[in-house]
Amino acid sequence: MTTLVVATLSAREVRRRWAALALVIALPFWFYLVRRDATGQSMRMLTLGIGWAISTLTLFVVNASRGVDPRLRLTGASVVSIIGGRLLAMTGVGVALAAGYWLLAWLDQDVLHPWAAALMMLVSAVVAAPLGSLIGALLPRELEGALALLSVVAVQMLADPAGLTAKLMPFWSAREIGTYAVDGGSAEMVLHGLAHAGLTWLICAGGTLAVFQWRLRLARYPEP
Amino acid sequence: MTDWPQAFEAELLRLGVQPGRARRLADETAQQAAETAGVPAEIFGPAHLYARHLVAELSAPAALSPRTRYEPGPVMLSLTGVSKRYRRQTVFTGVDLTVRGGEVAAIVGANGCGKSTLLRICAGLTRPSGGTVKRTRRVGFVPQDGGTAGWLTAEEHFTLFGAAAGMVPGRARSTGVHLATRLAWRPGRQQRAQQMSGGTRQKLNLVLGELHAPDLLLLDEPYQGFDQGTYVDFWQQVFAWRDAGRAVVVVTHLLHDLQNVDHVLDLGER
Repeated sequence: MTTLVVATLSAREVRRRWAALALVIALPFWFYLVRRDATGQSMRMLTLGIGWAISTLTLFVVNASRGVDPRLRLTGASVVSIIGGRLLAMTGVGVALAAGYWLLAWLDQDVLHPWAAALMMLVSAVVAAPLGSLIGALLPRELEGALALLSVVAVQMLADPAGLTAKLMPFWSAREIGTYAVDGGSAEMVLHGLAHAGLTWLICAGGTLAVFQWRLRLARYPEP
Repeated sequence: MTDWPQAFEAELLRLGVQPGRARRLADETAQQAAETAGVPAEIFGPAHLYARHLVAELSAPAALSPRTRYEPGPVMLSLTGVSKRYRRQTVFTGVDLTVRGGEVAAIVGANGCGKSTLLRICAGLTRPSGGTVKRTRRVGFVPQDGGTAGWLTAEEHFTLFGAAAGMVPGRARSTGVHLATRLAWRPGRQQRAQQMSGGTRQKLNLVLGELHAPDLLLLDEPYQGFDQGTYVDFWQQVFAWRDAGRAVVVVTHLLHDLQNVDHVLDLGER
């Protein structure tokens, strides 16, 4: 039950940060708008924008909870329920954002495989939440975290998609699925993308959990 | 400072002094100040503190009459030879403290002597470098600042902390609101923590620390931002917890309430 309560209240917190929420919603739109004339580029930029927006929002939510988490642990909550609840909420926000933008792209662009385009945006949103969470766990200050995310997205944007550097970046999966969605080709690209996304999710979620297990550990004292 | 006598009289009334007697005491105090041609605030200090001091002095004989005081209960917290070092810097060493149910302990000392660190060690949030800590399982911790989520309302905090303690949301909210009224606070339904005054946020902090009915309460200067009335209510609440059999450890730098606590641990003297 704690997980659901944390998820519900985290989502409510995000909803109340309406200025940040408006910027998060708008960010992928600007990415999309500048390359609207080219379907492939606009879809890839849009997807990367969704990933960047959700990971940054998650980073801020994780940092804002820093003072509450130790007290929740002391009151009896497990680390899994705290971190899991927050990831659940931010993934939900990401999926909603991806769904909205998929509808826009479906109406506005001529995409070869619309279902794959939906999957591309979904993968980006689902990977973004634990990525933001992990950066927030490793870099406790918002500025440092935001700059780290900016670096990740910039490298992802500029690296040669066929090279090793791009494959080591967290949003390579969305790009791979996007190539199939827009240009067609082998369906194996979707499978590769999904495998990459799954592995990235596991690393980021597992890393977040490991950092917070250590940071929120309580000394176990014997009873008098 | 012209309203010092009025503030003094109002505080006497708040503390339960009869109106006629309060007026007489206020007049006498003003007269004493006039005799020395001084300003009351400079001679006696803040009106509310002097009023409380005077009431304590006047009621001292009454303290000899049997007051309901319970036998100390089982040990809730035991520190033996506890020390803390950060790299090569020793914060404190050899701290011993035993607090039983029905007792209040105060940790005092100068800034930077490790009061908050010791309280975090008691909570289990920080590990001691040496020594032995034994502690009851159910503990409530109220930090000096922070500890709340700025975008959530008080009732949402009650739901969140209640869920952590295994309480259903409805019960957590009603318990939280009930505890808040004991601190003379009615939580606003729409007001978020970041919109609360410093004192109100500390009341929220206190309620969250007590929400799951812990046996041991660890309070780190929780009265920051309280007005004088709330400050008095706070100490009355501390003694109510004590009388209910709970153990309370308070970090404080204000020394004028220590006469009523059972143990004083001065980290500055170590």
